[in-house]
Amino acid sequence: MTVIDLITRVDAICKKYEKYDIDKQKEANVAGGDDAFARLYGVFENEIDAAIQKSEAAATENNRATAVAMNAEVRRTKARLLEEIPKLQRLAQKKVKGVSKEELEARNDLVYALKDRIEAISDGSTAATKQTTGGWATSSSYTGIKFDSSSDGKFDSEYFQQTEESDRFRQEYEMRRMKQDQGLEVIAEGLDTLKNMAHDLNEELDRQVPLMDEIDDKVDRAASDLKSTNVRLKDTVHKMRSSRNFCIDIILLCIILGIAAYLYNVLK
Amino acid sequence: MSSSDPNKLISKADKLTKLSLTRWSADWKSATVLYEQAANGFRVSKDYENAKLAFEKASKGQEMLSSPWDAAKHMESAAALAKELRNWTEVIDFYRRASELYMQCDRPQPASDSLAKAARALEDALPDDAVQLYTDACVILEDDGKEQMAFDLYRAAASIYVKLEKYTDAATFLLRLGLAADKCNARNSQCKAYLSAIIVYLYAHDLQQAEKCYNDCSQIDAFLSSDQSRCASKLLSAYREGDVEEIKRVAHSSTISNLDNVIIKLARKLPTGDVAEIKGDADKGEEEALDEDDLT
Repeated sequence: MTVIDLITRVDAICKKYEKYDIDKQKEANVAGGDDAFARLYGVFENEIDAAIQKSEAAATENNRATAVAMNAEVRRTKARLLEEIPKLQRLAQKKVKGVSKEELEARNDLVYALKDRIEAISDGSTAATKQTTGGWATSSSYTGIKFDSSSDGKFDSEYFQQTEESDRFRQEYEMRRMKQDQGLEVIAEGLDTLKNMAHDLNEELDRQVPLMDEIDDKVDRAASDLKSTNVRLKDTVHKMRSSRNFCIDIILLCIILGIAAYLYNVLK
Repeated sequence: MSSSDPNKLISKADKLTKLSLTRWSADWKSATVLYEQAANGFRVSKDYENAKLAFEKASKGQEMLSSPWDAAKHMESAAALAKELRNWTEVIDFYRRASELYMQCDRPQPASDSLAKAARALEDALPDDAVQLYTDACVILEDDGKEQMAFDLYRAAASIYVKLEKYTDAATFLLRLGLAADKCNARNSQCKAYLSAIIVYLYAHDLQQAEKCYNDCSQIDAFLSSDQSRCASKLLSAYREGDVEEIKRVAHSSTISNLDNVIIKLARKLPTGDVAEIKGDADKGEEEALDEDDLT
């Protein structure tokens, strides 16, 4: 390992841990000192650098999810910085001692340049616009129940340029969403009616259960009564008209006829 | 015999039942048979008056033969004919007698059924008596423990009260319905009954009563966690704010459309009178309460 390597490594490490270097921080603050504008400007510059680094990293990133996350970060930072620009502008107008008039005017220009620089930071949205507008064609046909309302926030003009296509797609999205809402309302009403009917059915069935039990009991009783009556009836019929009694009746009848004939013969 | 003149049958039967020197005990058996035939004959020939009389006599005969069931059945037929003749007092009498006979047979359900039939017949002519009959019918069922059958009767009684514009009575009945529903665990009917009571109070322009009713009913878990209570609270808050549009919207919602027809009609007519006035009254009521406190 050569000395040069060592030195470069040490430099890199120092740069990485600069923020822990208290002396340097104090120096930076003192350098700003009374000049609030310069301080804020310094802060802005640092943030812009960080944002640019992140966007570059995102552009080279292979993993789409991490790329998207980083782009989102960049977008957030950009939005924040753009919000603070007016503050910077106000500070720029203020007269600070030790700063000449030309410098003051230069500061205003600096602020505008800063604004342009911020907006120029690529956050992958220009590339993303094409992707999102292309993607809508598929997602609008997928009318599943997907209420991704969190994505609504991204449709602000800050985030991507309003091309004609995206405008049209947005309108179509809104129309379909309204129609979906209407359809869902109709379904909801139908479900309400169904629910009510189901509840009423439930109660009606509950009402009928004890009645059915009563019917069951009564029918059982009637059936057993009938069975015993049938048995008794069978016995009685047996006794009255069994075939054995019938034969005995016929034989006795023949005997009586025979006796009558014999008596008739005797008496004749 | 059945094709002969019903009048002749009646006179014959009468002769059988009338006690005289030659007859020491009335022959109810054959007499009842003759009475029944005569009554049927009269009914076919649409001679309602005579048919009614014949049924009465037949019923008496069955009583004498100690079969209250048949007696009750004949009384009901007589009452139905009296209804055709629009003889309301007789209708009431006959149906009551029939119900008593059914109770003798130890059958409370047909008893309450006959009272309910009477009430239905009298709904237009004598609504007060009708309500009385409905109440008696419900009492019979409740004594027997069969409150579920009483729901329809309570609802009918409440609708009669609404027709008579006696809104507090109607609401009371609906609350009784809720109580009966609670006993047999019929949550849906219970919640609907409470919501109907609140609507009736609001229709009578009585916001305080409605709120009190809502608070009372909210003590019950089943009502508190139901659609109907949410609908009621929306309605009451709309009233308190005097927002007519909101009231109309809630009144047209599906929860209210699932209630009884009479109640739906009331709900659609809400708000009655000036809602802002109610709001003013409500506020004034609170102020008055404060004044009373000051005086004491």
